[in-house]
Amino acid sequence: MTLRPFRLLVLCISLMIPAALCAVVLFLAGYAGQAISFNGLHFLWDVNWNLGDLYGDPVTVNGITIPPGAEYGVLAFIAGTLASSGLAIFIAVPLSVGAAIFLAEAVPVLENHARDRLSWLPPIRPALAMLVELVAVVPSVVFGLWGIAVLVPFLGHYISPTGNGYGLLAAAIVLALMITPIIASTLYDALLQVPKENRESAFALGSTHFEVVTKAMMPMVRSTLAGGIVLALGRALGETMAVLMVSGGGLNMLPTSLFSPISTIASFIVSQLDSAESDPTSMSVKALAEIAFVLFIITLAVNVAAKLLSSGALNVRSRKA
Amino acid sequence: MSAAAKLETRSTQELRRIVLSVAGWGLCAIALLGVIFPLLDIVGVVAGRGITALSFSLFTQTTTGAANGLANAIEGTFVITLFAMLIAVPIGVGAGIHLSEYGKNRLGSAIRFMSDTLTGTPSIVLGYFSYIVFITALGWGFSLLAAAITIAILIIPYLARITELALQQVPNPMREAAYALGATDGVVVFKIVLPAASGAVITGGLLGLAISVGETAPLIYTAGWSDQMWTGHFTQSPVAYLTYVIWTFINQPDEHSHQLAYAAAFLVMLVVLAINISVRLMVKRTKFT
Amino acid sequence: MKLPTLLRTGAAALALATAAGLATPAHAAGISLVETGSSLLYPLFNLWVASYSTAHPDVSITTTSTGSGAGISQSIQGLVQIGASDAYLSDAMVKAHPEMLNIPLGISSQAINYNLPGITHLHLTGPILAGIYEGKITNWNDPAIAAANPGVTLPNHVIIPIHRIDGSGDTFIFSQYLAFSDAGWSSTEHYGTSISWPAVAGGIGANGNPGMVTALKNNPYGIAYIGISFADQVKAAKLGQAELLNKAGNYVLPTPETISAAAASVASTTPADERISMVFAPGANAYPIVNYEYAIVKTSQPDAATAKAIRKFLSWCVQGGNVPAYLDKVHFMALPAAVKTLSVTQIDKIK
Repeated sequence: MTLRPFRLLVLCISLMIPAALCAVVLFLAGYAGQAISFNGLHFLWDVNWNLGDLYGDPVTVNGITIPPGAEYGVLAFIAGTLASSGLAIFIAVPLSVGAAIFLAEAVPVLENHARDRLSWLPPIRPALAMLVELVAVVPSVVFGLWGIAVLVPFLGHYISPTGNGYGLLAAAIVLALMITPIIASTLYDALLQVPKENRESAFALGSTHFEVVTKAMMPMVRSTLAGGIVLALGRALGETMAVLMVSGGGLNMLPTSLFSPISTIASFIVSQLDSAESDPTSMSVKALAEIAFVLFIITLAVNVAAKLLSSGALNVRSRKA
Repeated sequence: MSAAAKLETRSTQELRRIVLSVAGWGLCAIALLGVIFPLLDIVGVVAGRGITALSFSLFTQTTTGAANGLANAIEGTFVITLFAMLIAVPIGVGAGIHLSEYGKNRLGSAIRFMSDTLTGTPSIVLGYFSYIVFITALGWGFSLLAAAITIAILIIPYLARITELALQQVPNPMREAAYALGATDGVVVFKIVLPAASGAVITGGLLGLAISVGETAPLIYTAGWSDQMWTGHFTQSPVAYLTYVIWTFINQPDEHSHQLAYAAAFLVMLVVLAINISVRLMVKRTKFT
Repeated sequence: MKLPTLLRTGAAALALATAAGLATPAHAAGISLVETGSSLLYPLFNLWVASYSTAHPDVSITTTSTGSGAGISQSIQGLVQIGASDAYLSDAMVKAHPEMLNIPLGISSQAINYNLPGITHLHLTGPILAGIYEGKITNWNDPAIAAANPGVTLPNHVIIPIHRIDGSGDTFIFSQYLAFSDAGWSSTEHYGTSISWPAVAGGIGANGNPGMVTALKNNPYGIAYIGISFADQVKAAKLGQAELLNKAGNYVLPTPETISAAAASVASTTPADERISMVFAPGANAYPIVNYEYAIVKTSQPDAATAKAIRKFLSWCVQGGNVPAYLDKVHFMALPAAVKTLSVTQIDKIK
C-alpha cells in the first residue's frame, strides 16, 4: 500500500477529537476519583444529595475528609435528565418531521400556486430557514426567560392541576423548542437531497404526493434523521441555563408527574458549582465531577443505542432487498 | 355531478389513501405552525425589547459596571468567535472529510462515536475543565486563548458531523470519475467533493458560529470579563463577551440593566443574521459565475 | 472555489482584529483590578466603581458577577484581586488559607415575601418557616401560623415554598435564620449557600432573585425569601412582606431602623477578623435576617503598587463610599463606625 499523505493528514486531524474527549474524560475521572471511591456504587441509586454542613468542622469518614452530613446521590438527577430529554425528543420529533416535510414538499407547490396572484410574496423557505438559524443563536437564557414569562404561566393556568407550571413538562417543552430546529433542518436538507428518480418513479406508480414522501423518501433519509435526533439529544442532555430556569429545581425526590419539579445533571452542576467552590475539603467539587462523569456514561449509552438501532434498521432493509 | 361520479368510480381503498394524504398534510402544516409560532414569539420578544434599547453609544462606549455601552463585549465576542472558528474549522472539516471519505472502518466509527459523545458533554463541564487546566494549572489566567480553545472543543464535533453528512450526499460516481482521470486524494476532496457539498458545509459552519456566539457557560470560567477592549494579549488578559451581559444583567434589579441585556441578545441575533445573509449572497454569486 | 474565498475573508478579519486589539491603548499606564463574586454586592460595586474611577483615572476596576463561591476561590488562587462574598470563610477554610482577609463593606438584609391577596404583613417565625420548608407545615391555616396571627383570616390552601436553586448568599442567610432559631433545622439541614432542600410536594426552585420574584408572582399561595435589593420589584408585584420574630421575641419588618438595630447590636462583638453572623441578632428592635457583605482579599499581593491600589479603593468603599448616596439605591446600610475601624485595620494588612 502506498503512502497517501492527504489521508494521513485528515486522519491525524480527526484523531484530535478522541484526544480531546480522552483529555476531558481523564480530567473528570482523575478529579472525581476520590468521590468515586468514597461514594461507591450506591451513588447511582441514592436519591438524596447534600453538600453537608460547609461551615462545620470537616469529618473524616473511611479516611476521606468530607463536610459533616455530606451525602451524594444522583438518582434524582439521572431521572430528571432522562425524563426531560426523552420527553423533549418525544415532542420535538413529530413536530420537526412534520415541519420539515411540509417545508420541503408542500411549500414549493403552494408557492407556485400563490405566485400567480401574489407576485410580491417574499420567498417563504429562505425566510423560514433564516428564522431557524436565528433561533439557534437565541441564548439559552432568553429561552429560559420566555419560559418563565410565557410558558410557565400558560401551563399553570390552563394545564397543570395544581396551578404550578414549573417542572418536568415546562423543561421538556423549552428543550423541545431548542432542538426542533436541529432535527428539522437536518431532515429538510436530507429531503432536498433525495434523487429526483426516486421521487418520480414513486409518482409514476400512482402514489399520492404524501405517499411519495412517507413511503419513498422518508426511508431513504432514515439514517440522516437518526443522526439529527442523536445530535439533538446530545444538545438536550447537556442544556443548562434554560432548564435551570423552568425546571423547578427538584431535589431529593423523583419525578412522579409532568409537573414534578426536576433537576437535570447539567443544570444541577451549574447551580451547585458556586457553593461547591467554597467547600474547604473540595469534596463537593469532586462529587460534581463524578456527576458530570455519569452524564458522559449516559451520552455514551445513548450513542450505543443509536448505533444498535441504526444497524438494526439497515439489516431489515437489506433483507427486504 | 361529474365530481360525484368520479368519486363513485374510486374504490374505498383509494378514498382512504386520499383522506390519509390530506390528513397527513394537515398534520404536517400544524406541526410547522407549532414550531414557527413559539420561535417567532421568542425572536419577536428579543427584537422588540432589543430595538428599543439600541443607541449609537452602545457601539462606541465600553461597559462600566452594568451600564453604558457594549463596545468591549461586541469586540470580545467577535475576537473569541474568530479564533475559535480558526481552530475549529480546519479540525472539524478535516475530521468530517476523514469520516466521510476514508472512515468506513472500525477506526472511523470509533471516532464518530467519540465525537457524538463529546457533543453530549455539558458546556459547563468543558468550561470547568479549561478553568482547571488552562487557567489555573497552565497559569494562563482568564484569557482569549483559553476561551477560544474551549469554544472550539465545543463546536468541532458539530462541524465534523455536519461535514460528514454533507459529503456523504455527494454521489460516488463523481469521485470515481475524478480518480479515473488520475486526480489525487486532495484534489478529489477539495475540487470535487467539498465544492459539491459546500452549501451544507457552510451551513454547518454557521451552526458552529451560532453556538460560539451564543454560548455562556464555558466562557464564565475561561474568558472572565473585562470593562476594557481586548488588550491584544492571548493570555493573562480577560475578555468581554455579549452573552455575559445577557446572563448577568438580566439578574440585576434595575430596568436599565435589563435593557442592556436585551440589546446584547438582539445584537447577537443581528450579527448572525448578517453573517447568514452575506454567506447566502456569496454562495449564490459563486453559483452563477 | 468558495472555501479559499472564505479563508481569505477570515485572514483579513483576523488581521483587522489583531490590529484593532493592538491599537487599543491597553492598560494605559495605570493599574487594573478585577472584582468578582457575589451577585448581591455586584450592583453596589458598579455604583462605587463608576464614581471612584472618575476621581481616580489611574486605576481601572472591572466588576463581575459570578457568585460568592467563585469570588472566594478565584481570590484565593490570585486570579482576581477582590473576591466578593455574602458569606465569611468557614473556620476550616481560614485554617487552610490563613492569608485571606474577610472585610465587611456594607450591610444587606432579606425579606420574606408571600403571595396571599389581602394580607400585607403576616407574622412568621423561624420555626414556622423551617416547618414550611421541611414540609411539616403544609397549609396556610395551620395552627402554628394561626397562633402567630390572631385575628387574621388565613386561607385554607396548600403552601408553595419557593427556594433558590443556584448557590446564593440569600440562601445562606435564610438558612442561618432557620438554623439559629429552630433546633430541628440546625441538626438536619445546616446552613450554607446551597441547601439540600427537603422534598416538599409542590415546592419550587427558582434561579436568582428575579426568578424568585417571578415564581412568587406566578404562584398564588407561594412564599419566598428575596434579597432586599429587589424590594422595589416585590412592591410593584403587590406581594406581601412578613414581620419576622426576632431573638427578643418581637415581630419586625425590614426597615432602615430595624436593620441598623441589628447591626448596632453586633458591632461591639465583631471580632478583629470580622467573621461573624448578624442573623438572629439580639436587640428588641433588631431585624433577624441581616448580614455583612464581604470583600475576600489576599494579604500578600504580587506587587506593592497593586496592593496600594486595592488598599486605597477598599478604604474608600468603607469610608467615603459607605454613604446613603450609593447604598440606598440597593437598600444596603452603612457599616457602624466601630466596624469601619476594624475593616480599615484589616485593609492595612494588604501588602
